[in-house]
Amino acid sequence: MKNEKPQVFSKHLADRKVLKQLSIFEEILLKMMTSIENKPEALSDVLVLEVSYANFAGIITASILAELGAEVIKVEPPEGDPARKITYNSVYFGDVGIPFLVESRNKHYITLDLKSEEEREKFKKLVSKASVIIDATKPGFMDSLGVGYRQLKEINSGLIYAAISPYGHYTSKAKEFSNIPDTDLTAQAASGFPALIGDPKLPEPYNYPIRAGIWAAWYMTSVLAVTGILLALIHKAKTGEGQMIDLASNDAISVCHGYPIAMAYIFEKARPRIGIYDYIAFPYAYLPCKDGNVAVVCIRDEDFRGLLKILGRWDLEDDWKSILDRITDDISRLEMLGLELKKEFSKYACDELVKKALSYCIKSARKKIGGGFPIIVKTMSPSEVLKEKHWKIRNALLEIEHPIHGKFIIPNFPAKMSETPPRIKWIKYGLGEDNEQIRKKYNLD
Amino acid sequence: MSEDYFSFVNQLFNSSKIWEKPEVLKGIRVLELTHAIFGPQVGRVLAQFGAEVIKVEEPWDGDLFRTATVWSRYWKHSNIMFHVMHANKYFVAINLKKEKGRELIKKLAKISDVVVENFRAGLAEAWGIGYTQLSKVNPKIIYLSCSGYGQWGPLRFFPSVDLVAQSMAGVATLTGFPGQTYKLPDYYGDFLPGMFGVISVLTALYYREKTGKGQYIDLSQAECLMRVMHNFTYLSITEKEIGCTGNIDPTMSPSGIFKTKDGKFIALAIATDEQFYKLLEAMNKSSSIINNEKFSKIHERLKPENMEELIRIVEEWVKTKSMEEIIELAKKYGFPASPVMDDWEIFNDEWRRERGSIVTVNDEMYGEAVLPGPVVMLHKTPGRIKWLSRPVGYHNKYVFKKLLGLSDEEIKQLEKEGVIGYWDNKPGLKPPIYYDLKNDKIFNY
Repeated sequence: MKNEKPQVFSKHLADRKVLKQLSIFEEILLKMMTSIENKPEALSDVLVLEVSYANFAGIITASILAELGAEVIKVEPPEGDPARKITYNSVYFGDVGIPFLVESRNKHYITLDLKSEEEREKFKKLVSKASVIIDATKPGFMDSLGVGYRQLKEINSGLIYAAISPYGHYTSKAKEFSNIPDTDLTAQAASGFPALIGDPKLPEPYNYPIRAGIWAAWYMTSVLAVTGILLALIHKAKTGEGQMIDLASNDAISVCHGYPIAMAYIFEKARPRIGIYDYIAFPYAYLPCKDGNVAVVCIRDEDFRGLLKILGRWDLEDDWKSILDRITDDISRLEMLGLELKKEFSKYACDELVKKALSYCIKSARKKIGGGFPIIVKTMSPSEVLKEKHWKIRNALLEIEHPIHGKFIIPNFPAKMSETPPRIKWIKYGLGEDNEQIRKKYNLD
Repeated sequence: MSEDYFSFVNQLFNSSKIWEKPEVLKGIRVLELTHAIFGPQVGRVLAQFGAEVIKVEEPWDGDLFRTATVWSRYWKHSNIMFHVMHANKYFVAINLKKEKGRELIKKLAKISDVVVENFRAGLAEAWGIGYTQLSKVNPKIIYLSCSGYGQWGPLRFFPSVDLVAQSMAGVATLTGFPGQTYKLPDYYGDFLPGMFGVISVLTALYYREKTGKGQYIDLSQAECLMRVMHNFTYLSITEKEIGCTGNIDPTMSPSGIFKTKDGKFIALAIATDEQFYKLLEAMNKSSSIINNEKFSKIHERLKPENMEELIRIVEEWVKTKSMEEIIELAKKYGFPASPVMDDWEIFNDEWRRERGSIVTVNDEMYGEAVLPGPVVMLHKTPGRIKWLSRPVGYHNKYVFKKLLGLSDEEIKQLEKEGVIGYWDNKPGLKPPIYYDLKNDKIFNY
């Protein structure tokens, strides 16, 4: 890498000696972290069977385990998992949708009709060799076929059985709601996400609660499921015991960040939707400039003072000095300051304002005392992110070439690990593509 | 099997038995050099499952998040969300800017299994407590560095918080109706990356269990968000952006958030043909719509113009039904639907208490609190919330005496030199004013 002089935004790093030390550290990291081919995979001794039906939480969970090195076999009915057809704007790659393509990492595909007794026996043979089953079918479905946790633990006492569904496989609601299938949107709604997004002051329907524009609930459910499975694998490594894990996607986001529960507990009411504003910091928002939006973040009072200096609005300081002035449940007060900021921001192009804030922060880093760090960045679109060279250097977005359908990009696993780097070895998705190989390898016939 | 499946699973997860069951991470010691949410989330989950997590803070000021309250509201002179993030942990306050402080960190690292830090990239290394330094003291250490953009590459020193990471990853432009832009609420850009941190640490622990080897993990907040986006793949195939789609999940047709007859908001999303036919049955509209080839197959329904037409039909139907009626139909026919739930409804949802996702904790210092439970449910090694957070430096004596074998005199000397310390007299940092500290056996250990 070229030796460009790095810009720092921290008082502790603004020192020539420190920067020299850190450029040596970067070289060590490049050596230690970027060569992955000959390194071992952490879960290479783990066989995972993924049985999911139109439920991406199951598919993504299996995908992450495969990135960590597990051998993952997706078991589908002969007609295939309907999840294959789920996609954006009816765009397909080959015959699968975009989400299925993105999550088809390092997997094997076999078809088994679990409704036929003969095929079920083959499935049980596979189960006897497996460490993990991911069941993202209708709660009770596998059990009704005789291949649920209570039957399978008898043939494999070390089996880890992860059940994924909207309301879980236990509690009084589990049975009553077992008929309702899982989707990201309904799980977001049940987790309290849309109730916090949007602006109730706008005209209908723009004032409705709004969905998070990514699969926020399905991905959250998946990372929690992987967490549960890894914990169970550690228990199994120590004791040989397997266990059951239960995920309720309708609960995943709210239990993971906990805000809805803790907030309702202390305020004894729901937080209202407050448009672009935030509940604990101000400004902590996307604000419009002349030619687009920027994200602006001032956490501490000195950061806010820095922003006022950049904008040349020191007159506001007196009324909005402390975080206690700026954060309130009185929305009209939030808007008072919000309008002042919007007025100033609209005078600038995004890049202009971003540059101003950056040079202010760089100066702050070199000051002995004082000087805040008001952070302003452009709200980037995915196509702008694709152009960023930092992600190329880090291999964050991989280009993959399919022999028939051509090139496409998928995001890499985000954690880089020095001993057992997670990796994408292949992308394939053919229904029943590995029938023969798996049947042979595990002696199923 | 004569026993009902759901009562079988109910028995497995019986909440009254949790405290008799083993903790999977018992004996794992984690040194947490963290602040705000991203880093602490890693320790939070590990502590739920039995790890001994030692949280290191700056004396007097502590973690900035201690005072980051919603609407500046404290609960028993503390931040309720700080309790959520820091239940089951130990609190020491060490001045990292002093050589002797760093020596203490090295001594703790020597007897720890995992180190988690989320300073600005490079800062831990510059302070002499980075991976290259601590792995010399303890070669088996698992060291996780959490940062905005990772530890190498040109953006590495750039500041990051949840909102900035959402902007840099491209998430920022995806939520809202076209022309609007909302952030993902409640710091999704911290909590989701935190879970990837948990996953990578557990993976490294599993590998160490087998081989005895530790490792370094470099985790970028923005890369975690990029991993859960399909937009880059879609863009690389179509050369178009998916963009903002308001309430509609563009992969589900029909889908959206609708207003019911009784004025409530409900989320509906149809993922498969089967679910679509069930919905039509429930709507009593089968014949007219199924025969329309614009709607009968998923790839036709997902075309934006057809989707829009369908959504209008569903919207009109929802207007004629109450929330309860639609949920009953969803249970009966089997299509995805959920009320849009806010904080208060989530908090009062009996199902979540039954699941253990909302728990009542009885804490020695703070008394009763109602908080989120463990993030995932395991039946043999369940997570649990044992105690709430503590004031800055509360466990100094307990940790330094018991784990490092320091004497009272040595501790006093370190206090005098400002190497270790306690809390400033501010809410969020100090104990509740009515708390009897003199008779606290742990504090006065």
